[in-house]
Amino acid sequence: MNKPWFAVRKELSPRRRSFLAVMSFVLPLLVWSLVSYVPFIWHPQVEIIEAGEVDYFRTGMLVDRSVFEQERETLRAEGRELPTGTRTNPVYLPAPHEVATALYTAFSTEPQRRNEKWLHESLADSIQVIFWGFFLSSLIGVPLGILAGTYVAVSRLTEPFVEFFRYLPAPAFGALAVAILGIHDAPKIAIIFIGTFFQQVLVVANTTRKLDPALLEAALTLGARNAGLLFKVVIPGVASDLYRDMRILLGWAWTYLIVAEMIGASSGITWFITQQARYKNFDNVFAAILIIGIIGLTTDLILAWLGRRLFPWQRTARA
Amino acid sequence: MYKPLKRLFGALVGIAMLGMSAQALSEPLKIGYSDWPGWVAWEVAIEKDWFKEEGVDVRFEWFDYVASMDAFAAGQLDAVAMTNGDALVTGATGARNVMIIINDYSNGNDMIVARRGINSVADLKGKKIGVEIGFVSHLLLLNALEKNGMSESDVELVNVPTNETPQVLASRNVDAIVAWQPSSGQALNMVPGATAIYTSADEPGLIYDVLAVSPTSLSANRDAWVKVARVWYRVVDYIQDPATRADAVSIMASRVGIAPAEYEAFLDGTKILTREEAMEFFKKGDGFTSLHGSSKIADEFNVANDVYKDPQPVDDYIDASITGAL
Repeated sequence: MNKPWFAVRKELSPRRRSFLAVMSFVLPLLVWSLVSYVPFIWHPQVEIIEAGEVDYFRTGMLVDRSVFEQERETLRAEGRELPTGTRTNPVYLPAPHEVATALYTAFSTEPQRRNEKWLHESLADSIQVIFWGFFLSSLIGVPLGILAGTYVAVSRLTEPFVEFFRYLPAPAFGALAVAILGIHDAPKIAIIFIGTFFQQVLVVANTTRKLDPALLEAALTLGARNAGLLFKVVIPGVASDLYRDMRILLGWAWTYLIVAEMIGASSGITWFITQQARYKNFDNVFAAILIIGIIGLTTDLILAWLGRRLFPWQRTARA
Repeated sequence: MYKPLKRLFGALVGIAMLGMSAQALSEPLKIGYSDWPGWVAWEVAIEKDWFKEEGVDVRFEWFDYVASMDAFAAGQLDAVAMTNGDALVTGATGARNVMIIINDYSNGNDMIVARRGINSVADLKGKKIGVEIGFVSHLLLLNALEKNGMSESDVELVNVPTNETPQVLASRNVDAIVAWQPSSGQALNMVPGATAIYTSADEPGLIYDVLAVSPTSLSANRDAWVKVARVWYRVVDYIQDPATRADAVSIMASRVGIAPAEYEAFLDGTKILTREEAMEFFKKGDGFTSLHGSSKIADEFNVANDVYKDPQPVDDYIDASITGAL
């Protein structure tokens, strides 16, 4: 326990590791709580309790502190009834307990109409969109990336165009996707695909290129050729690194979810977020954003655990 | 390795075939709608399964307003709920349509909301205004400016999606915004001292909310559209009958995710029309008391302000015979 906390590239004890992991969540939560509950830190607005003689103030209205003070000064000078209020944060920043309540209510509220969905059903829709987008992208992107990383000819034929295309913003293809693929899940999956695929090819190709040349030379010396070299040496050699790439890319796919679901008919978790934002229920909006974060993190933890079992020889897969 | 792949391929082919056969068997009329009281009202019929009772197969798809018109323009919908002005804009830019049902006219829900200190449209001179350019709010703004002897060049327009207008006004980057409910109401709530300096109630009939159908679908499924119209007037009766109004409002409120009491206010700014009233507005005439007249004015506005180039044959956009057939 006397070892230093900050030693370059030295492993920490398991206790310290878990402590820091917990703190990485506790600290932001602490900042959020401080900003929410301690009035003098931020609270740039005032919630009116009594409007006093300010003609446009209403009970419950939020006004900027400067405006509130100014109106008070004016009224005080004239000796009229002063407004009162408490300092508060803008409606865009709900407090942690409000978001926690919203999170619970969002899941426990029963659908009121026949064609309405439970929140978890909407979430399942979103997860399906992500899954298919990522699956289809990987189905083509991974083999293409491996080939491009192995054979210079494939690399020269594909990568310049892929490099070009990856700069095109995926959401810009929304209207085209709707025109070709309809209004339901297909255009949304297409946006996730476009957002993921081109990065994927490049990342996979680069990882494949990093394969230890000694392995290839040894295999060539031992007489391995073409298909054998590819399937027996290259792919097994990069598999664990590719697995790690895929975990990162899956996170990438998630970030396209909201723009993808804005296209065509409203659906999934995005429907919930945009609708609640329209009516300024930001506690619900933050709750939904949290859900996405939790799902993403959980998936990643499961994949990491799986990775440790699939590639026991790879210590770096532990990250 | 081989077997699972084969199975996967089989599954994919299966899904594809399922999709195709479903399409071939029955093609419901696809209708896009969005968050406006006069269109959310359709939800009552969906919830009560009245389309089935009437024997017409429809499928309602919920969109953001502009996305719904995009989907219609892309040929993915048979009909879409929009305003008469936007029907012309959508038509002029490629997706011809025919207005067959007048749901309502906006009676105060569309507003120009200005920050404190701006008390009339005349005060807008030289100010920045956040508005979704080229759509219904733009039309309302132009109408307000013209009535006060100004034109678009007297103000500075900032293109803002209607959903985001409340935040934009709150950010003080603009002096006024143009939006409809719920965004207009949110802007009033969120920005202390903000007032509605001009609303659609100042020019009733400027904005009619309609169901616009693609001409192809209308000629192929005329009977079905008559049935849709019949269901619509069942909805209107249900909303206007004091005995059932509360139930109707609670269904509509649940569609948009707010409390019924809150939703009542939105209905007040929307004049939902009975069939008799609608037939009056379908009559040809000049001025805002006729859908023809109103659309004609919208068309002139749109051309004058370069929303689109060529005047539209307004009469071709209106077909009273479906509502008339009831």
